[in-house]
Amino acid sequence: MHWLINRLGRAILTIVGTVSLSFVMIRLIPGGPLDYLRGQIRNQNPGMSSDAIDALVEAQAAINPDQSIVEQYVSYMSSVFQGDLGTSTWYGDPVNQILIEALPWTLFVMALSLLFTFAIGIGLGAVMAYKEGSRFDYTFSSVSIFFNSIPYYVLGVLFLFVLSYQMDLFPTGGRSSDAVPVGFSVAFLLDALYHAALPVLSFVLTRFGFQALAMRGNSINVLGENYLRAAKIRGLPGRRIAFQYVGRNAVLPLYTTLMISIGTMFGGAVILEEIFAYPGIGYYMFQAIDARDYPLMMGAFIIITTAIVAAILFADLTYGLIDPRASGGETRETY
Amino acid sequence: MSPGKDVVLDVEGARVQFEMDRGVARVLDDVDLSVSREEIFGIVGESGSGKSMLAASMLDAVEDPGVLSGSITYYPSPDEPVDILELSAEELRQLRWEEIAMVFQGALDSFNPTLRIGQHFQETLSAHNVDRQSGMERARELLSDLYLEPEQVLASHPHELSGGMRQRALIALALLLEPEVLVMDEPTGALDLLMQRSILSLIKKLQRKYNLTIVFISHDLPLVANLADRIGVMYAFDLVEVGTAEDVVEGARHPYTRALLKAVPNLETPYAEMQPIAGRAPDPVSVPKGCSYAERCPLADDQCLDVHPPYDDLTDEHRVACYYPEEAPAAIPLPFEDQSVERPDDPPEAAGAAPGKEGSR
Amino acid sequence: MDADSPFRAYEVERRTRRQRWAYKWDLYVASPLRVVWSDWRTRVGVLIVVFYLLMGTVGVVLVPPPETNQGALHTQPFQTMAHPLGTDGLGQDMISLIVHATPPMLEMMLSGGVFATGVATVLGTLAGYRAGRIDSVLTTVMDMATAIPGLPLAIVVATILQPESPWVVGIVLTINVWAGLGRSIRSQVLTLRESDYVEASRTMRIRTPNIIARDIVPNIMPYITINFVNAGRIVIFSSVALYFLGVLPFTNTHWGVTMNRAYRNSGALYSLGASYTLLIPMIAIIVLSLGLVLLSQGADRIFNPRVRARRSKTISDSEDPGTGGAR
Repeated sequence: MHWLINRLGRAILTIVGTVSLSFVMIRLIPGGPLDYLRGQIRNQNPGMSSDAIDALVEAQAAINPDQSIVEQYVSYMSSVFQGDLGTSTWYGDPVNQILIEALPWTLFVMALSLLFTFAIGIGLGAVMAYKEGSRFDYTFSSVSIFFNSIPYYVLGVLFLFVLSYQMDLFPTGGRSSDAVPVGFSVAFLLDALYHAALPVLSFVLTRFGFQALAMRGNSINVLGENYLRAAKIRGLPGRRIAFQYVGRNAVLPLYTTLMISIGTMFGGAVILEEIFAYPGIGYYMFQAIDARDYPLMMGAFIIITTAIVAAILFADLTYGLIDPRASGGETRETY
Repeated sequence: MSPGKDVVLDVEGARVQFEMDRGVARVLDDVDLSVSREEIFGIVGESGSGKSMLAASMLDAVEDPGVLSGSITYYPSPDEPVDILELSAEELRQLRWEEIAMVFQGALDSFNPTLRIGQHFQETLSAHNVDRQSGMERARELLSDLYLEPEQVLASHPHELSGGMRQRALIALALLLEPEVLVMDEPTGALDLLMQRSILSLIKKLQRKYNLTIVFISHDLPLVANLADRIGVMYAFDLVEVGTAEDVVEGARHPYTRALLKAVPNLETPYAEMQPIAGRAPDPVSVPKGCSYAERCPLADDQCLDVHPPYDDLTDEHRVACYYPEEAPAAIPLPFEDQSVERPDDPPEAAGAAPGKEGSR
Repeated sequence: MDADSPFRAYEVERRTRRQRWAYKWDLYVASPLRVVWSDWRTRVGVLIVVFYLLMGTVGVVLVPPPETNQGALHTQPFQTMAHPLGTDGLGQDMISLIVHATPPMLEMMLSGGVFATGVATVLGTLAGYRAGRIDSVLTTVMDMATAIPGLPLAIVVATILQPESPWVVGIVLTINVWAGLGRSIRSQVLTLRESDYVEASRTMRIRTPNIIARDIVPNIMPYITINFVNAGRIVIFSSVALYFLGVLPFTNTHWGVTMNRAYRNSGALYSLGASYTLLIPMIAIIVLSLGLVLLSQGADRIFNPRVRARRSKTISDSEDPGTGGAR
């Protein structure tokens, strides 16, 4: 119970830290957003006095000039935690409205990518370990390493170039067709999958190898364990040894990798969504960067961090269900 | 070999080889050995001498790429020989654990960390088609015999038990299917001295209660001397001396056995009298053609270097692979020579006391 | 022989100083190099990395720097000897672009690698060795920093700061790489702290900084080396992405900048004719990244004793297959 509170506390602390960080970056860094805004207004209105410019900047950035920096911080924090991320200067809509609408699409791509990456990685890694030293092992180890060294977005650009623009097999952007109405229908689901296919494929192909090699290494380690030898001599059936002994013990360490993957893949989604013009969180983050729309940019950053913290928290809490050694909680080391 | 006795396990010409980059390594070199019913047979040797291979051979459980040849015969009753190396995969699967069970070296990680102790017992019962209810009753009885709280232990995960508890649970698991023979490979290696003693006395108790035959393998000669009825000393992949515990400890005739007795670290042995054995054990790829110990032996002559010495049967029970069993005591004197040694029948409190004890005075 | 053989201590005592040096040389230099060279994958990795290092040092002297209108616009590759790989939409020679992008790239990787592994080593060792209050504070900080997604954070910081110097770019891109690394160094130090020889050093009242320098750091050094290489790879991936997407200011010659021009200005996605301006920098990136992956995997093989034990089938293996015999 203490452990649970500890974990929850850390998660909340992380989000508070992130929001504080974004406050610091927006308000305090010289040459930051406020200076940029000031410069922009000055360019558009050459005759304006600097007091008038400051007033305009404060109005646009929703800053109350009568407040001290601490008061500003408190009011920023409280509005963020009430779900108010400000108004997008580019779109003119509330930031949270834009991002809440985009979030499910990002999660959709992420979930599919993670699912396939780990399914392929675990399956392939197990077979490679089982056939250690064989031609199969050698070939797929090399293939895994090769794909692992291609940046996911480079593969994405290649797919876009070959499969979308040159061969016209896949859409060059968007997340669903206008012709298909949004709703819980098979047609819509297929259409969404069709649009998500290339981003997902870019992720899966460049990342499955890493998981496969990790699974291979873990399995080989387990194959050398005493308990495995004991299980064989006790005459346990092969299926039980494969799943309860090798499989389970080799997959467990991957769980930590999974947690880390959630973070890196979310980060990667930002770039892939921009490349595939797939309107998720990352796409809006880039729109915001191009338009110097700081509320939208920081909002996207906060939403992404919150989603990752929540995902890691979930993974952390459920880990105890599959690894009995983690039930104590405190002693487990995250690698 | 003692033909008159009721032999339960007969090993003849057991050899384990495997291919290495440098050539063929022979890690078990034509070992002959008979284990009698309901005795405790101790095998002693330093690490690398092949004793774990010998243990694994008794269940035909030598791991790849090792290849076992020779013959291993198991006698469920005196006139019913079973050639273990000729069994089909399924017959072998049944023989293991039902007839001959094993406790491994590195016993502390012999349990699957993700399963409860009880699940290990249950899966073993169902793998051998034993009624779960009566099987688990036996499990509980065994655990109580080993001074464990059955319900608590069965519900625990391995990491929740101490080393000694895990070790005892493992012994209970080995005896679950009522085997005739229990092979224990360094079962106390990872335990502290106090725990070693209590496990040894438990092993003795179980042996009497369940009429077990036990093959007990260790690098620790004093430990084995206190437990075993008979002892075999291994050096460089073969047994060099076999005899009753008394023969081997008090009347050791092989120069290696004597050197081993002298090298035994004991708190009460004066430092000056404790001597490591100079030189190295032979490489398994190129075992010398003569006596494998000749290079380190003070008695070695040309014959020793050229021709592998056959066993010299000193008595019915005591045999030594050496040309000079009569000269050995004078050449390698032991500090405790002519002293009496505690016997295995002594009360368990004395278990673990080393034979060198009296010698130090 | 086995580590637990009773004869070992006896032999070690008799080694001379010179033999010890020979032994150390063999252990730390000669034998790892042999392992590197024995595996063709690692060998390829080393050759690739050396090639890029040469490109960044000697190459920039031999190849003229890229300039606009160096040649005709959009010269196709393999057409003229003057521009073997062609020119881009601004008439810059492709080879010049690739070669002169290497030094800033290497500088970014170096600064990112030093920053990430340096901070991680200091914080991780401190937390792991000191334990108690310092440990729990540092661990919490590292846990929090790990949870913040690195790339989006780097994007935000890069957008606001607009860094130009390659050294600063390297640090911005590894802005939270130290956190996860520091966390795992901490747990390694934690294990080492309890080991017998560190215990022995403590008993002998050797000062803590000396214990850390002599007993702890050398043991985590292999891990740090591998992660230094990995941090370099993170810098490649992120820097190319951010230059490609125009987040970082175009003040450095960079493969990402070349890709950006190909993508935005030459329409390399739509027209087959301009696609080489996109493909050539991509190949440069993939090859370097492949080299680093092969190198770090090779390093892993050298430093991971379990793998090494499986390779050299020593006698202890035969005694106790799989577990290494020294239990």
